Amino acid sequence: MFVLAIGLSAMAQTSLRGRVVANNTQQPVVGAKVTLANQNISTTTNAAGEFALLYLEAMDEEVLIEADGFVPGLELINLKENESNQLDDILLEPDIVSQTESEILLNLTEEEMTDDEGRSQAQASSSSASTDVFNKTVSFGWSTARYRNRGYQSNVENYYIEGLHFNSMERGQFNYSAMGGLNDASRYKEVLNPIEATNFTFGGVGQSTNYLMGATRYAQGWKIGAAGTNRNYKARVNATYSSGLMPSGWAVAAQLAYRFSPYIDQKGIIGEGIKYYSLGYFLTAERVWDNAHLKLITFGAPTERGQNAAVTQEVYDLTGSIYYNPYWGYQDGKVRNSRIVKSFDPTVIAAFEYKIDEQQNFKVAAGYHYSWYSNSALNYFNAPDPRPDYFRNLPSYLWDGQIANPNYETSAGQLFDADGNHYPWGLFVGEDLNGNSYGDGFIGHDGNLVGPSVDEDTYNRLVDLWKARDNKTTQIDWDKIYATNYANNANDPTASARYLIERRHNDLQEATASFNYVNTQFDHLKMTLGAEGKFSQGIHYKTIDDLLGGNQWIDIDAFADRDIKELASNSGFTQEDIANVRKNEIAADYNERIADKKTRFGYDYRINMGNFKAWFQNEWNFNEVDLYYAIAFDYSSMQRSTNMLNGRAWYLTKIAEERTGANPWLYYGKNSYDRIKAAEANGTLKAGTTYVGDAHHFLDPAFKVGATYKINGRNHLKVNAIAETRAPFARDAYISQRVHDAVVSTIYTHDNAKNLKDFYAASEKLVSADLTYEFNYPIVRGRITGFFTQSWGATELNGYYDDEARTFVNQAMTGIDKRYMGVEVAAAFKLGNYFTLTPVASVGDYRYTSDALAVSSAENGMPMTQDLVTNSLVFETVDKVLLKGLKLSTGPQVNASLKLSFFHPKMWFADVTVSYHDWNYLSVAPSRRMQGLYTGTRVDGTAVNGWFGDTYANAIETTDGRAARAIVDTDPTSATYGQATYENAVLDANGVPVLRYPYNIMTMQESLAATNPLNRFIIDASVGKLIYLPNRQSLSINLSISNLTNNTHFKTGGYQQARLPRAVRQGEPDYRNSVITANAWKYPSKYYYAWGTNFFLTLTYKF
Amino acid sequence: MRKSIYTYAIALALPVVALMTSCEPRELKAEDVLVANEDQLARELAAENVNGEYTVYNINDLIATYCVLEEGNFESEESQYRTRAIYHGDTYLFAIDTLPTDGPGIYIRGRITTDDYGGNFYKALVIQQTKDWATGADIDQQNLRISVDMGSAGGMFQRGQEIIIRCNGLALGRYANQPQLCVPSYNNNIFASSADQKVGWAPGRIPSARFRKATRLIGAPDQSKLVYDVMTLAELDTKYLSKYEDIFGARKADGRLVKITNVHFTGEYDDYGKVAQCTHYNGSDTASVGNPELDKNACTFGPTTGNVGYPQSRYVKDDGDAHKVLISTSEYAKYAFFYLPAAKYVGSIIGILSYYMDNGRYDPDGGEWSITPNDMSYILPECQTEDANPRWIPVEWKKGVPQPED
Repeated sequence: MFVLAIGLSAMAQTSLRGRVVANNTQQPVVGAKVTLANQNISTTTNAAGEFALLYLEAMDEEVLIEADGFVPGLELINLKENESNQLDDILLEPDIVSQTESEILLNLTEEEMTDDEGRSQAQASSSSASTDVFNKTVSFGWSTARYRNRGYQSNVENYYIEGLHFNSMERGQFNYSAMGGLNDASRYKEVLNPIEATNFTFGGVGQSTNYLMGATRYAQGWKIGAAGTNRNYKARVNATYSSGLMPSGWAVAAQLAYRFSPYIDQKGIIGEGIKYYSLGYFLTAERVWDNAHLKLITFGAPTERGQNAAVTQEVYDLTGSIYYNPYWGYQDGKVRNSRIVKSFDPTVIAAFEYKIDEQQNFKVAAGYHYSWYSNSALNYFNAPDPRPDYFRNLPSYLWDGQIANPNYETSAGQLFDADGNHYPWGLFVGEDLNGNSYGDGFIGHDGNLVGPSVDEDTYNRLVDLWKARDNKTTQIDWDKIYATNYANNANDPTASARYLIERRHNDLQEATASFNYVNTQFDHLKMTLGAEGKFSQGIHYKTIDDLLGGNQWIDIDAFADRDIKELASNSGFTQEDIANVRKNEIAADYNERIADKKTRFGYDYRINMGNFKAWFQNEWNFNEVDLYYAIAFDYSSMQRSTNMLNGRAWYLTKIAEERTGANPWLYYGKNSYDRIKAAEANGTLKAGTTYVGDAHHFLDPAFKVGATYKINGRNHLKVNAIAETRAPFARDAYISQRVHDAVVSTIYTHDNAKNLKDFYAASEKLVSADLTYEFNYPIVRGRITGFFTQSWGATELNGYYDDEARTFVNQAMTGIDKRYMGVEVAAAFKLGNYFTLTPVASVGDYRYTSDALAVSSAENGMPMTQDLVTNSLVFETVDKVLLKGLKLSTGPQVNASLKLSFFHPKMWFADVTVSYHDWNYLSVAPSRRMQGLYTGTRVDGTAVNGWFGDTYANAIETTDGRAARAIVDTDPTSATYGQATYENAVLDANGVPVLRYPYNIMTMQESLAATNPLNRFIIDASVGKLIYLPNRQSLSINLSISNLTNNTHFKTGGYQQARLPRAVRQGEPDYRNSVITANAWKYPSKYYYAWGTNFFLTLTYKF
Repeated sequence: MRKSIYTYAIALALPVVALMTSCEPRELKAEDVLVANEDQLARELAAENVNGEYTVYNINDLIATYCVLEEGNFESEESQYRTRAIYHGDTYLFAIDTLPTDGPGIYIRGRITTDDYGGNFYKALVIQQTKDWATGADIDQQNLRISVDMGSAGGMFQRGQEIIIRCNGLALGRYANQPQLCVPSYNNNIFASSADQKVGWAPGRIPSARFRKATRLIGAPDQSKLVYDVMTLAELDTKYLSKYEDIFGARKADGRLVKITNVHFTGEYDDYGKVAQCTHYNGSDTASVGNPELDKNACTFGPTTGNVGYPQSRYVKDDGDAHKVLISTSEYAKYAFFYLPAAKYVGSIIGILSYYMDNGRYDPDGGEWSITPNDMSYILPECQTEDANPRWIPVEWKKGVPQPED
């Protein structure tokens, strides 16, 4: 390589220089990409908007100028040999359409619905690559459908601000709300396609985005804007001032943006039951010297906003609205939402760039960020569940009793009347909850029936209340909640409030620094050296938000309280011991009566995370070929510390001490275990003491390589490949981080790690490659890319109420393999002077390629089951999760759109986009795909209590359309002892028995694509006008309308509930009395829908 | 320039403050959510009924008005299929009478005597009325069970709380002639033991949302206003227990809040009509005898029934063992696995009087009265105090630890 680099500087002296200026403000455009189409050389403009291209060939050239937020410009020039060619100022017109789109995208992630854990279920990619036709079109155009780049989860996309990494180390995601509404702060960014050569970081399999916030990027003057929308907030006002580069060498810019919506008392609209207040500020200053820049940046956006939730199809159907929101109710005649997010992410950044000489420069940056993030939620203790959409409050719950099993007929003829007819279950209902007709005599497919168990009047009355959206039935009944607490006060003033609104804090503070050095001393070679370091701390605790009339809250765990009898009989514990289990802090001096809003309760722990990354990259540029390769080395660590000693952790520790082979310090960490034991022995356990758990370390190397073959100036072929490992995020590492310190089994501590490989044993391993053909002609430009990514050994955590174990279970899955492959195509055709037609498509196949191994344990220490041979209790069960072949639920896998854009030089803008999305799949609940549910026996040999193949479920389909029962090998000497086989069972592509209706509804991976193909289309449009006024003033108006046809049948995502419907077989011991029932509608899936027609109207005045 | 930034900041901040403080609901006070007085109640009831017409029934009057047919109107009117089988002579084990949906409001009103936290009153409430609503005069307690599909209902509907329920569209069901406010429900639990005898229409639980909507809380709960029948076992026997043959007598006896005095446990239970002695636990890790997780005859209050779910019963007797009554406990009660107190502990028991008749299928004259306490603190409370002599300290069963002697 180095040999090749020598003596290739023949075409020396021909060069081109110029300056790019915004037409509306006459200010330089920073960071614009300037490309010579014929010889395919490009550069970007500096802070003064200037560019220089050296070593050119003399020829006629097209100069293409592209910048974020501007309409691309094109200049023709005849490059004269051995001359310094100079272009006049190139004027770019602002693209007000794309500016509005960026603003909408910026707010998209925080408008996402969140589930009960506060997890956002369906996130769109919300950054747009500035100049790539594909990315530019899809980032907004497909955002309604929640398209995700290459099917990756959002945590593989990396976000930087001035070279500083800002993804959360706990969850891997970037928090957009930090920049809430600050459309100017987030205006300038560089976005890199997956696996390209990069300049600000090593990158990875996903896109990397670097926000650039230097003050010199902002045009001198004032800008004030107003916006109106029918989204979660209704209006926005903002103002930006920028000084431009002043004679002192300083430039300053500032923005304030305020977005708001009060509660609007109307049902069935976007943002139902939601209030929204956010005030964003952004302040940036930049000092410019000849060879250096110093940037000082701060921003933040104190925000308060209501949330909404995904609900089941039944609820959407009953309420007749995809906007139904169960989180609010009327209080004193006014709307009140129980889930209010409060967030504020003040961030400070300092960045310094120094040009050592013409060939060398370096950047250093440091940042600090404190993120206050909390959301409120109703909690309750020993009182009815207050959620209006709780499954027991829905009409479908009344279908519970009507379960007929065709195989039961022979032993109990009572299911038929004297004439041989079925008893009329569901006499008044002709179809099941999926709309399948019961047919003649209301007998469902295969004779299975599920219908209402109450009389018609009772059933219809509840249905009517839902359809009428009765305030007390379909919304939170604040009156009864307050009444309950006041009544409770009167009965016992010292008792715990029955209801409260608690505030769950998930704060994060981060200190981060980066270094980046670029050297171009050698011909054809650009060397980049980078280093990043970050310390991050997740801070998690609860406080009281509102006691709702109660006198105090007593901090004990409701699940442990409920299971107290079982917990007692499973151990040799005293009554006081058992009382400990319920406590969230076991120290005797802990005051568990909480009445103020400051005291932390429930849990109070931190996760400390460290990360250091170093990388090195060489880029070689030749006439026909560009090459790059890069290596990176990443070290990270995580360690949990807790200020509360949880009673379940204490109980689990005691259980582990009694069990042989169990690890008693697992739940506290080794050092803390000794300290706690000593303090317990001395009676000196003190509340508020900090106990630090084990540290876990991870080493993750990465390597990438790529080449571009320039067939000619207009046609390029690119190939890239990467191999990397990724340590698990903290949220997937700790099995139950609110309770104890235990991590998934593949993660080592410094004490038990023996080999180097132990430090990456838990990491996900990925390889990825893509091949791109790029073309660039005056009338058409675009690309075709094929990509392939395989990952192995991912880790995932799930927590759910398990009806077999009858308690809350944490399930840690390891060994998850996934494959992503597909094709991306994009082309932009110029149609005459005013129109551009852009067809874009992405067709992919994103799926699991292996089964996973799951370890399940009860959060409160209850045994999971009992070993039938030894009678001993089993606290952790191990089983396979049948994931192989299932699709990943990361958005639609088939996407295509056609966009027609119009731009008139009199500054009229318009576009219309028609998009089609398909192959979108429901997120499957692992608990419903356990191997043991099909075989009756888990991988660890324990028996499953109630499974699909057992006599009482009869859920397996046979080739002749009957129900197969399992044949279980009962020979203890056999190698397949305890295993089940089926005769004539229908098997799916992975050999998993297919379930019969209606059981199949419980486990199948549902397609989210609308039944009517027309409803898989989304049409967006926008129109804008920029008016130039005297004295460099301008006024712009833009209206963007999404989902023009008001398609309200477009599901963007959803998830299966983890619970399976089970009944108890009477007269059997607990460990073998469970039966999976045919009531597939008891815990149905929950869905997210794309909003119907929504608009965003902006008005901006610059002066 | 500085000044204008300042001006804009203020211009932005003012609407912020204005909008953030408006439209927020006021905190509700007790008087906003608990009916404060009779006038308010009358106004509210009038407002929710057509022409303001309604009646607040005395409990026994409601039963007398609507439970006319022995087999209930639901069966004859709506379904050619039976309510559950007839076992007790010619008495219907189950019957359902639906209450009119339209027309004047039908209300009942009473004070809650139960608490489900202990686990004995799962999805069930009992209310007690001690005043005649027409005359305002004090009357002998009248009681009604309410079956409601609401977990932890006692959290919202607490013991001592006075409530008023709009009954229109609900039903009065009867189990062994004990009335309950309910809805008709078809039991098709094929996984039940003796499922063939259990399938059919029966009184079912009122859906939670409907009950919540139909019910008002009147004032704050006051347990001191609950009225007890304080009596010895002999008095109880004479007054109620022998009266089952009289259907209406039984109806009036069921659900009463009673306090029986001077009783002790005997370790005996009813074995299909015969008195048998409960089985002792010897601390064996493997044997099932006396282990309440496996042995339904263990010497605890509520050993397992194998999830069949019938209440477990243990006899108490009076001085001289002349009279006896069953104390019944759910196997799901929090104190179910506590050992029975020895016979030397003598005291009172407070609970709800009820009749259990499923055993009637083995003994046509069977079925017995029992008393269901809310939780263990209602059992021999005198013996549980610190200065009691002898003092009863309840002991919970533990695997591997032998049952203590006395």
